Amino acid sequence: MDANMNSTPRITKETKRKIKADFERTPLKDRLKAKFVNLYFFQKVVWYIFRLVLLIGISYVVLYPFFTKIAGSFMSPEDFVDVTVRLIPKNFTLDIYKAVLTELKYFSAFRNTLIISLSCGILQTFVCCLIAYGLAKFRFRGNKLIMLLVILTMVVPHQTLQLSMFMQFRYFDIWGILSLLSGHASTGIEGLDAVLANIHLIPLKDGGVNLTNTYWPLLILSATGLAFKNGLYIFMLRQFFTGVPDALEESAYIDGSGTFRTFVTIILPLSIPMMVTVFLFAFCWQWTDDFYTELFFTTSKIVLMPDIVDIPTSLKTDYAGQNMYYAAIRNTCGLCIIMPLVILYAFCQNFLVQGIERSGLTAD
Amino acid sequence: MTNEVKLQSTVSAPKPKKRKIASLDRRKARAGWVFVLPFVIGFLIVYLPIILNSIRMSFYNLQIVTGGGYHLEWAGLENYKYALTEDPSFVQTLVAGLKELAFDVPAILLFSLFMAVLLNQKMAGRAVFRAIFFIPVILSTGIMESVEGQNILGSYMEEAGGINDGSNSSAASEIVSAIDIERLFSSMKIGTGLVEYVVDMINNIYDIVNRSGVQMLIFLAGLQSISPAIYEACRIDGATAWETFWKITFPMISPMILVNAVYTIIDSFTTNSNTVMVYINSVYQSQDGQVHSSAMAWMYFLLVMLILAAIAGIFSAYVFYQKRD
Repeated sequence: MDANMNSTPRITKETKRKIKADFERTPLKDRLKAKFVNLYFFQKVVWYIFRLVLLIGISYVVLYPFFTKIAGSFMSPEDFVDVTVRLIPKNFTLDIYKAVLTELKYFSAFRNTLIISLSCGILQTFVCCLIAYGLAKFRFRGNKLIMLLVILTMVVPHQTLQLSMFMQFRYFDIWGILSLLSGHASTGIEGLDAVLANIHLIPLKDGGVNLTNTYWPLLILSATGLAFKNGLYIFMLRQFFTGVPDALEESAYIDGSGTFRTFVTIILPLSIPMMVTVFLFAFCWQWTDDFYTELFFTTSKIVLMPDIVDIPTSLKTDYAGQNMYYAAIRNTCGLCIIMPLVILYAFCQNFLVQGIERSGLTAD
Repeated sequence: MTNEVKLQSTVSAPKPKKRKIASLDRRKARAGWVFVLPFVIGFLIVYLPIILNSIRMSFYNLQIVTGGGYHLEWAGLENYKYALTEDPSFVQTLVAGLKELAFDVPAILLFSLFMAVLLNQKMAGRAVFRAIFFIPVILSTGIMESVEGQNILGSYMEEAGGINDGSNSSAASEIVSAIDIERLFSSMKIGTGLVEYVVDMINNIYDIVNRSGVQMLIFLAGLQSISPAIYEACRIDGATAWETFWKITFPMISPMILVNAVYTIIDSFTTNSNTVMVYINSVYQSQDGQVHSSAMAWMYFLLVMLILAAIAGIFSAYVFYQKRD
């Protein structure tokens, strides 16, 4: 080997302007041997295979429930009593999809949920950005306290509050001021009560505005950063904004830009991947949410996604494989519900990973 | 004389300048308040009444009057007394729930850290794997969770597939049979508790994968923020991957472990599938159980807060911060 390396190349003159240098190389077999037959390479290959098997295995675990759902959704009732049918349907049919899409008001549910999710998603993203920016970049008295309160809203489970939350929006009131003005509550001053009751400043029936069965409760919660998991978004965004160098804003201030303008024109464009991440979370979690929608929408006047997990009348059967078939129908409803999210995710997943990578999240 | 005047002027000169800085600070502070204003308003107008009302409710008896409206009656600590002494299964459920928490949190943390390290390595198809791993975070919530709960089809199909998706645990569908593992571990002289733990973890892999999405994201972000230069220096000094993990990655990621531990505890005790939450919900649905359920929920909340504080306290003593100097 050493001899080869040190030996001078053989130079032959081909034409007037061209020479050819021939190095004596080690034979191909030896080179390959040196490269591939050693412990280092062996270790690498073993690790590579191990990792691949593990990742594919866990991906399979993640995707398997979706496979069974998709497989079941194409089956006809006969397939559920046939023992030989497992994942691949024998009698391929689109009946379930047809019934779900036509009989269960899928499209009106889709429209209503889209309105809610889109407006809530955008509102939550923007408001959480505002709050997080305020917490990250401004040192003011009460800063720490507000951060603590944000964490508190994240920690208190919303199930704990469901009764009070329903009451709050069923009889919506701002510390009793509205019912005072409408004359339902007593002010404690004689005379004033009667006056207020007579003039009806705000027309109210029973001491509070009934906001249930409207979009308002969700919008109010979103606009104030109190909706589902907003504490997490604020936390994530705050970490991101803390990592943005101060010099950027300072140069904007020196150029005469105000704080809000700096925020909109300098900071927001920087944080688009992060914002897409938050929007994706907010949108998807609102889309599949059944806690708030069931809490605030007590009548079925506004059809939302949770309402369409049902058995269409044309598919009702007392056939032998009934339970199985109904499960498949419910699964298909679920698939129809998440279908738009899958499409959205396919477009946004790049942003999701990027947003997280760039966040430079640190816990201090 | 002139000297004195000069001295005075030099002393008094910085004064207005100083005030100017203070006013800029104040202006920035005011801007900060404007930014957090939506939250403050919402907290005061919406959230605080809800919380206060919920706490108040737990001290009252609620009677719903026919024709809408309700009637409250002061009950003192009766609801709490009821939950602790009279209710047949609240205390048991609470203990079971805490056990579950103690099982879940380490499992989720270990798994998500492991997967994050794996997904952080450079390899072909990394983006695809990442996309697949985050699917449950986005899709398996809310409605899908309840659909999954009634999904008997999956368990039927998996009899052939041999995978446990968490909906039930038939002996036939366990990936690893406990006996095999037990035999392996008993020859290694490890306690049976650990064996059971590992077997449970493997069999609940679907559940764990489903619930460790956000944690994985947070760990990934933490791993990304470690400077590659440190790893390079390690490699040059001849450290193995194992040593590098324990000496570099682990300390650098330890703040994330704290954050994730806190998040996992919060998340696992607020999900709908949590045993205590299921129980509280069932109490809420039952007749005049609303007040009982809110008393229980507040007790549970206080307990979890105590655990959270204890864990955060213990962890933060061992957390390594790079910036601290």
